[in-house]
Amino acid sequence: MTDVADHYQMLEELGRGSFGVVYKAIDKSTGETVAIKHIDLESSDDDIQEIQQEIAVLSTCGSTYVTQYKTSFLRGHKLWIVMEYLGGGSCLDLLKPGNFSEGHIAIVCRELLRGLEYLHAEGKIHRDIKAANILLSENGKVKLADFGVAAQLTNIKSQRHTFVGTPFWMAPEVIQQAGYDFKADIWSLGITAMELALGEPPHAAMHPMKVLFHIPKNPPPRLEGNYSKEFKDFIAKCLVKDPDFRPSAKDMLKHKFIRNAGKVEALQELIATKQMWDANRTRTKHPVYYQETLNSISQTDERDEWVFDTVRSVAPKPARGTVRSRKPSGIFSVEDAMRRLDVKDGPLQPSTPGTVRKATVRRQPSTAIAQSPTKSSQSGSVRRISTSTAPKRPLQADMSFGNTGSTMRLFRRVPSDSSTSGQLGADAGAADENRPPQSKSSSNTSSEQQQQQQQQQHHQHQQQPHSGKEAVLGRRLYAKAIEPALAELHAQTAGSDKRAALANLSDAFAHLDAADPEGAYHLLQSLLSSVAQDKKLSSAFLSSSSTTTLSKATPNDGGTPQGTVLIKSPPPPLPLAQAPNRSPSKLVLSNANPHLKSHRRRQGTTPDGSVLERGGGNGGSPEKEGGARERDAERGVESRYPGKEALPGLEHCQHLSEVFYQRWANGLLCRWGGVASG
Amino acid sequence: MASFFFRGRTRTNASDLPRQAKEHVTKLEGPAGAAKAEELGKVLSQMKLILQGTHEAEVSPEQIVQLVQSVIEEDLLYLLAVNLHRLPFESRKDTQVIFSYIFRFRPPAASPKSEPAALKYIIEQRPQVLVELCKGYDHKESATPAGSVLREVIKSEAAAAIILYDDGDEPGSSAHGLMAIDRDRLQSGHGIFWRFFEWIDKGSFEVAADAFTTFRELLTKHKDLVPRFLHVNFELFFDKYNHILVQSNSYVTKRQSIKLLGEILLDRSNYNVMTEYVDRGEHLKICMNLLRDDRKMVQYEGFHVFKVFVANPNKSIPVQKILIMNRDKLLTFLSQFLEDRTDDEQFIDEREFLIKQIRSMPPQPVPSQR
Repeated sequence: MTDVADHYQMLEELGRGSFGVVYKAIDKSTGETVAIKHIDLESSDDDIQEIQQEIAVLSTCGSTYVTQYKTSFLRGHKLWIVMEYLGGGSCLDLLKPGNFSEGHIAIVCRELLRGLEYLHAEGKIHRDIKAANILLSENGKVKLADFGVAAQLTNIKSQRHTFVGTPFWMAPEVIQQAGYDFKADIWSLGITAMELALGEPPHAAMHPMKVLFHIPKNPPPRLEGNYSKEFKDFIAKCLVKDPDFRPSAKDMLKHKFIRNAGKVEALQELIATKQMWDANRTRTKHPVYYQETLNSISQTDERDEWVFDTVRSVAPKPARGTVRSRKPSGIFSVEDAMRRLDVKDGPLQPSTPGTVRKATVRRQPSTAIAQSPTKSSQSGSVRRISTSTAPKRPLQADMSFGNTGSTMRLFRRVPSDSSTSGQLGADAGAADENRPPQSKSSSNTSSEQQQQQQQQQHHQHQQQPHSGKEAVLGRRLYAKAIEPALAELHAQTAGSDKRAALANLSDAFAHLDAADPEGAYHLLQSLLSSVAQDKKLSSAFLSSSSTTTLSKATPNDGGTPQGTVLIKSPPPPLPLAQAPNRSPSKLVLSNANPHLKSHRRRQGTTPDGSVLERGGGNGGSPEKEGGARERDAERGVESRYPGKEALPGLEHCQHLSEVFYQRWANGLLCRWGGVASG
Repeated sequence: MASFFFRGRTRTNASDLPRQAKEHVTKLEGPAGAAKAEELGKVLSQMKLILQGTHEAEVSPEQIVQLVQSVIEEDLLYLLAVNLHRLPFESRKDTQVIFSYIFRFRPPAASPKSEPAALKYIIEQRPQVLVELCKGYDHKESATPAGSVLREVIKSEAAAAIILYDDGDEPGSSAHGLMAIDRDRLQSGHGIFWRFFEWIDKGSFEVAADAFTTFRELLTKHKDLVPRFLHVNFELFFDKYNHILVQSNSYVTKRQSIKLLGEILLDRSNYNVMTEYVDRGEHLKICMNLLRDDRKMVQYEGFHVFKVFVANPNKSIPVQKILIMNRDKLLTFLSQFLEDRTDDEQFIDEREFLIKQIRSMPPQPVPSQR
């Protein structure tokens, strides 16, 4: 059997989502550029069926308004899903340089309505319409993407109850679980239109869970300000709270705002703007190339195998089919054991017969298919879509609570990004659980963090001969990295309890710094070395440094192919629990921190800088004093990049948040329990 | 679209459409196949509109009655099932909708408990339609639409029985209708049900995944039908299951079938099947090897089958022998087994339970109490 995967020439990484990595690739038989999503099935407990569901929905779509599904196949424990490549990026990416004009919004909305008209006629509900899930082709065609939570109805008149979507964009009837249909998508479209106009959906500053309370209770959002009457009316029509009075996609296509919309080609302006914007902000990034990782899971340790030999001749089954007189206690213990055992793995067990209709969808609302903004410039570089995926993360709550309380599974653990790239998922899970706080921050390996980590390693390397400097380094570590990062994070955090928790952590570090700066130094060093010692951890967190050691530290940028896995990955999955108060847009901003970008540019231009950036932890490359000093300064700046060291402070936020969410969810059930069960 | 719609309103049209469709569908293979496919597509989409209505317009039950009647008379369901993979993309979807609606349709006067008329007819007199729908898994094109229809249909126990007990021309096969089924007869293994193993193991991902979903539904939905089926056909079924599905080269097939095996065994209605299964030393060996697979999720699913062997208070002699012989290894192995599942309390409890059970086993096999 030939390997289907060989039909594709894998190119650079386009982006990452909670469900895997998306690569650009070329179909060798046709020369066509495609996007291929790699989903590591080992990293998830029970998602195979949902992925199948997504594929089933996508593969039955035949519309120019929907990202085209091509094929999917298995490669070992990875599922490859081949999709149409869309070079324009998502609307969320395109929003980064600035909000859309009304003219552009009208075009996007018209195309979306056409897409929805198609889907709805097919008996499909998208259920997660938002800017991040709207992709543009290079010539401006608008396509719906990410059918991760889409529903296929067998009867076009039937209704759905599943609670699914992304809170800010969710229609009131979806939140209330009172039964909803296609009209839910129209509401989300209205919110999306506002998002395109304002840069974020209404209530973006609110906690996503609070928004769920807010939407049904309050009058629908309205577009205020300097917009045309038609646009405002369009939004008002979409955002009618009673779905019966909300127009269908077909009706909305007749709206004046839509009828006056221009040609899709006009959307190329947005793409061009984004390219300009990127060109001004960043130097070309290092593409991350696809690397085969399948072999990494082979287990080589020779364990002594089970011994079966002497039982070759299967003994006659004793007494089977004869008397079957069991002692009562025997019966009891069988039953008891079975009861113990059957809860988890038998969804169809009689223990819960017919009561619980398992809430159908609970996949995290989105990401991943995002073919992301690789409007690659001539250099063939890739822009990471980190910023486009990251904002979705805060909404990663597992909203599996459907109609019944008993199916609640509120937060699912999301493997860290680095783990999805071929590590065993379970390892990553364990890492999450068992690692001390500090290394937790390193699990959230954003490129910058990693860079910093490498620098620190490097630094240690240099300094190790001069013993006695640990204290100085420890102080420096605190002053340059930990303290600013904590301060930054603190500034970004809204919840008072979370702020307090962060403040506590900050105090604790300050105390450590005052009392024992060496301790701080050793803490980080031992963390790094223990990470490095563990094969799996190090490949997860330090892999880029090891690969880069191999690849020569070439000072020219971006274009160097293969092996330069440098800018490792987008920011960490920040599950809701960890960063509950950041609205997507905030994350976007922070990632585009101008200091950071300009700094990176500088770094790239000096040979020293690039050696440093690539060869961190290598130590073999000679460096001048000046370079080192400059590095320190750079690190100071870098350390201000939010979301790095600060993460250790967030663990308790997670617990707190879980408690809060639980409480909130219970409240919701009490409140609407009658409706939900009725 | 609108013109179809209005034509669809006229009475004669509804009963005429199936005849037209039949005419076209039989000529799909011919020289004018492409043109016929297009015409057929139009007819099918009209039929769909009549059955489904639109968001704006309600359906007319009288028209549907006529249509269903005529579909049965023309034997159109069979023809469509056979030719599903030859139809164009949109027509395949329309066909899926048509099947679903027809199999669901009850005249307004009929009791909501009664079997829908068309389904009843198929089950009693034309079971080949269901068999042909299963054969939809022979082609990538027809797998998804056929699978969706099948999964809806087999919610009916009778329909599921048709598929489980199809055995060609053998006596007692469902090929002669529901009433002819002999549930106590050993099957030859050539019936349509047994082809699922092949589709699941060998099919492309989309086909295999869809076929497996249907297979799972077939084996888990009906708590009277399936245990009896499994009991009678125990050897054939588990031989195929263990050697084709559990040992499949496809990661998804392997993992999902181990999981399903655990579900089947732990289903109370399958108690007898379970006891029979866990008596076999051969089965335990397969299972213990799964624990040593190099993929964690395979190990994990394997564990949920393994636990059934160990938790069984009446272990057979061969099972006891294997466990006792490997006692020390198992204890060491289990103590470190999937250690990183620290947040899975149930798993941790069960693992502890198994360790205790194995530790407390007697040094020599003891004949079972039963």
